Amino acid sequence: MKDIRTIEEINEKISKGTINVVTAEEMTEIVKSNGIEVAAKDVDIVTTGTFGAMCSSGLFLNFGHADPPIKMEHVTLNGVEAYHGNAAVDVYLGVTKMHPEGKFDYGGGHVIEDLVAGKEIELDATAYGTDCYPRKSVKTTFTLQDVNQAILCNPRNAYQRYNAATNGRDDVIYTYMGKLLPNYSNVSYSGAGELNPLTNDPDYETIGVGTRIFLGGGIGYVTGHGTQHDPVNRFGTIMVQGDLKQMDPKFLRGATYTNYGTSLYVGLGIPIPILNEGLAKKTSISDEEIKTNLLDYGIPRRGRPSLKETDYEELKSGKLRLKDREIPAQPLSSLKIAREVASILKKWIDDGKFLLSSPTQRLSVNEVCRPMKISKEAVFAQNVMIPTVTCNIDENTETVARRIIEKNVNHVVVVDNGGILKGIVTSFDITKAVAKREEKLSNVVTRQVVTVSPEDPIDSCVRKLKKHDISALPVVDSGKKILGIVTSEQISRLLGE
Amino acid sequence: MKARLRFDKERTSEPIIASVILRTKAPINILSAEVDESAGEVLIEVPDDKAESTISAFKQMGVDVHVGRFIEILREKCIDCGHCITVCPVDAISAQSDLTVEIDQNKCVNCGACVDACPTRAIKLSE
Repeated sequence: MKDIRTIEEINEKISKGTINVVTAEEMTEIVKSNGIEVAAKDVDIVTTGTFGAMCSSGLFLNFGHADPPIKMEHVTLNGVEAYHGNAAVDVYLGVTKMHPEGKFDYGGGHVIEDLVAGKEIELDATAYGTDCYPRKSVKTTFTLQDVNQAILCNPRNAYQRYNAATNGRDDVIYTYMGKLLPNYSNVSYSGAGELNPLTNDPDYETIGVGTRIFLGGGIGYVTGHGTQHDPVNRFGTIMVQGDLKQMDPKFLRGATYTNYGTSLYVGLGIPIPILNEGLAKKTSISDEEIKTNLLDYGIPRRGRPSLKETDYEELKSGKLRLKDREIPAQPLSSLKIAREVASILKKWIDDGKFLLSSPTQRLSVNEVCRPMKISKEAVFAQNVMIPTVTCNIDENTETVARRIIEKNVNHVVVVDNGGILKGIVTSFDITKAVAKREEKLSNVVTRQVVTVSPEDPIDSCVRKLKKHDISALPVVDSGKKILGIVTSEQISRLLGE
Repeated sequence: MKARLRFDKERTSEPIIASVILRTKAPINILSAEVDESAGEVLIEVPDDKAESTISAFKQMGVDVHVGRFIEILREKCIDCGHCITVCPVDAISAQSDLTVEIDQNKCVNCGACVDACPTRAIKLSE
């Protein structure tokens, strides 16, 4: 592709105040009405922006030395544990680390937000003491201005795109994609679509090591490709860092996901120089061209099935069509603040305050993200389930009582003639019925049965048993046909092996 | 208008709401109710023209009446992501054209489903 301008020429125009910079949303419109050739000629820079929870984020802090000095071993900041496996007074605070008492409501992300907001933070550190660092404990308070360095350092930010989430189970689940209602009743997604930084430069022509960016309201840099970078499948990520002292709490916000954990919302924007017509075309990408999959987060496995392919235009419309239903869809990231990020970056450039940098090295374009290597296979419901003892709803309680004794079980599953699950009775239900001379099984059966599928991991079965305070889970296929039963006795036996 | 009624132990067995309906002829809509042996708490909706007479009738019967906003978005915390919109059972939350998220107090039934869904804890159920 023939170059039409260089980074040097662009920076000269920024300094002279003659630069033409537009946001990625504006670029999509410009190309639509004027065509690529004219847009490439007119527009020098396209700004992008995103504001989403980025769980891999964290902060390096250096406190300087105390007198007498300490080599900190256990460190908490406002009660949140920081990682201390580096030099004496350096720590790394991860955003998902939670306060041991205020679980989900306060974590590393909130400490970072408080720091940027200028609040005082409590430092509590202990040590074993050495000849050169004799001090064994230190308790103090500090603000952002008191530390030597506060470097936001995020190993995986700004996912190129992300899947949308829904829940096919029959109860509410709380996930990192938010609160997902039962029976596919809501959809949550992440990402700013056509405003997303990497989506506008999908081949990483201009975004590389050393690219100057908007990070948390201040200036940061891309330091390389991020962890789980998966360019082959268009799931690229970047690693970034920036000086927290320049940042703004509006663009770094602690996040709380009930029953999941804490995180940090990060505002991140990247300017894309229109060096050639190809980049003008790439930055004109529209929401409808950005495809993603709707996954069922009700399935507690790595490979969640895709329920349908969707795009950001459908997602941003607020309604997603699934078979014959319309489901409300909203992001977990903020499009409103993403737009603000792109606009502020545009203004910085317009005002001559932000110059573009040429990357010193390009990001990798040919790797894939592989799953974890597991040396011992996990156990699933189908591996531990045992055959069920069944009965028919028309049988009387005494017959079922005899069957319980004969088969030596605690649970009898009620099925119809086709083996479809209709209910469950426990030995306790039957004992009670016999004691009360209740003959009709239909009066004692539990019809709302909590079940699992054969592919559910044993850990999810344990969570379900605990959550519903029950002792067995019938295993059924998608048509509710009974396949077996997982009982707490089976699970105890498994743990004892 | 919506109001939250609180009554104590002595009154949980009395037909208070029915008495007030008979007295004021106000069509009272019960949105939620929690009553046990120690106390009762009921959220009601009354047409605005009957609001005043209904409130005074309840007060005369010794009921603690609380009127006003029950659920609010703390603007300084809200990031306008919109996740709450999808969990609201009565479509009381919506995004404006500039993407600002708002709660329609007339539609809200104070169920609290949005509270634990909010990633910045920006939704508050008032006491």
